[in-house]
Amino acid sequence: MPRIITCYKWVKDEADIKVDTSSRQLTLDRVGYKISDYDRNAIEEAVRMQEQHGGSVIAVTVGPPSAKQSLKDALSRGPEEAYFINDPSFAELEPAQTAAILAAVIKGRLEYDLIICGEGSSDLYAQQVGPRLAELLGIPCATYVNKLALEGTRINVERKLDDGIEKISLPLPALVTVLPDINTPRLPGLKQVLAAGKKPVHNIGLKDLGLTCEVTLNTTGILAATMERRRLRFGAGNEDIRKVVDALLKEGVIA
Amino acid sequence: MSGVWVLGERREQTLELLNAGLGLARELGTTVTAFAIQDQGLAKTYIECGADTVYLLGSLAPEQPLEDYVPVIVDVARQKNPDIFLISATPRGKEMAARIAARLGVGLGSECTRLRLDENKSLVMERLMFGGAAVQTVVCLTRPQMATIPPRTFEPAVPLANREGEIIELPAPPAGKVRVLERKPRVQESVDITEARVVVAIGRGVEKQEDIELIQELANVAGGELGCTRPIAEELHWLPENRYLGISGQKIKPDLYIGVGVSGQIQHISGIRDAKVICAINKDENAPIFEAADYGIVGDLYAVVPQLTRELQRVLKK
Ligand SMILES: Cc1cc2nc3c(=O)[nH]c(=O)nc-3n(C[C@H](O)[C@H](O)[C@H](O)COP(=O)(O)OP(=O)(O)OC[C@H]3O[C@@H](n4cnc5c(N)ncnc54)[C@H](O)[C@@H]3O)c2cc1C
Repeated sequence: MPRIITCYKWVKDEADIKVDTSSRQLTLDRVGYKISDYDRNAIEEAVRMQEQHGGSVIAVTVGPPSAKQSLKDALSRGPEEAYFINDPSFAELEPAQTAAILAAVIKGRLEYDLIICGEGSSDLYAQQVGPRLAELLGIPCATYVNKLALEGTRINVERKLDDGIEKISLPLPALVTVLPDINTPRLPGLKQVLAAGKKPVHNIGLKDLGLTCEVTLNTTGILAATMERRRLRFGAGNEDIRKVVDALLKEGVIA
Repeated sequence: MSGVWVLGERREQTLELLNAGLGLARELGTTVTAFAIQDQGLAKTYIECGADTVYLLGSLAPEQPLEDYVPVIVDVARQKNPDIFLISATPRGKEMAARIAARLGVGLGSECTRLRLDENKSLVMERLMFGGAAVQTVVCLTRPQMATIPPRTFEPAVPLANREGEIIELPAPPAGKVRVLERKPRVQESVDITEARVVVAIGRGVEKQEDIELIQELANVAGGELGCTRPIAEELHWLPENRYLGISGQKIKPDLYIGVGVSGQIQHISGIRDAKVICAINKDENAPIFEAADYGIVGDLYAVVPQLTRELQRVLKK
């Protein structure tokens, strides 16, 4: 029966980001947070596998103390316990640091057969944590997976790549990163949310890790990507549609 | 230090990276090294196109994945200490880059769309974050400075006169733990959406697969191709995957983009940013696509699209 770890990130909801077009500064103080989109697919896949084969699912996240809010959401999706690795300095980690922290916690404390991560986070979308974590743990990995099947002591997966599908087989323990089309994450009901509050959470701080997270990548700037557009509005009436078509003709974009 | 290294999954991508690498190497006064996968002919091509050295990677057994090259590449990188290492951001390339970076203990800029050198000759990389809402500038503090580069970011390098270079063969990698069971090549699509002058994109506002016909008529009259949002291709599978536009899909630069029932989330907008004119049809006046559009039509697509098609037919006399 597989012991599964699923990793997720608590991220700013990019849909809430406001932009000052003249200064290209981002306004981030009013943004909401969410479990990164594809990590929800990762959690769902872990839970489905458990429903099919038994075993266990542990959710692990690395973040600042404020990411505590994510635990109930994550646990309501099915995992039976969570590891919350937090420190105020974990607010803006780079992928190499996140992978190193996850590796330190998993190596020392957790037994597992399979680790499931999302393809990439919806904030940085660097798509590095999964494969880096596999390397640090010395286990095989498969990225961009949209089908997963447990076959005894191996896992067979389908990777969706730019030139087609690649079916591969990995011995356990292994790590996979999943694509959004692998499943549709369930919406937790009230019962699941209430039950989530009672599930165990293991808090781990920086000092418990015995690790210094060296910076290898320095962010020197973040600016809004701007776009000049006319933003003209029209209704659905015939008159308005004519105006739009006239405008497109004048712009010379249809012929 | 042994200069700028480039690794592309295929010929086209390697040539694009070579072009980028040659520019950097010129400024740094150093050499360019490319990897060629299993093919002596490719190695020669890369030298003709500017590489000073080519590492020829030995053949893989049929059941070995491309990623089995990781340890071999890491070994030479440890011996030679490249200053910069660029890898194509294909799915396999991204996995290999992350694993190479992890083994070398270095930073990696993912899917960088601009590269330049600063006054200290450090590589400055620009990439998108927050689904394309922002541009993040990063600098590696470790060596090699690593970046993955999306295909088609740079023009391919071209053959130069009187080129000479060294081809060094690397051993075939031993089998790793992963076994390839089967490869199903993607069916080649006849249209390249990135070449289309007009793209009409459908989103989840289109209720049923049959309704695509309605939008197809609009595209036909406008002389365009159908594109879509990610869920239409990846979740509903109504259109092939190489038709979805956005940060993780195709980036297009048509004269005209018309979004039909597309909400306009930032990840989608990132793929159409360079369209000359953006037109949108959505029944929700607060849909974010209207912020990104030149001409926004607020209305039910099932009423608007037939009207728009008719009106275009009339003025274009089709
Ligand atoms: C990391 C990451 C990467 C992503 N990459 C991409 C990407 O590359 N490309 C991409 O497209 N998406 C991408 N997404 C997904 C993206 O965030 C959106 O979820 C997606 O683009 C929404 O697709 P949609 O507009 O078709 O659907 P929805 O957001 O559901 O929008 C449907 C719209 O149709 C309108 N509508 C409904 N009925 C009608 C009607 N009768 N007439 C007119 N309008 C109607 C609604 O008002 C709504 O605005 C990514 C997401 C993440 C997290």
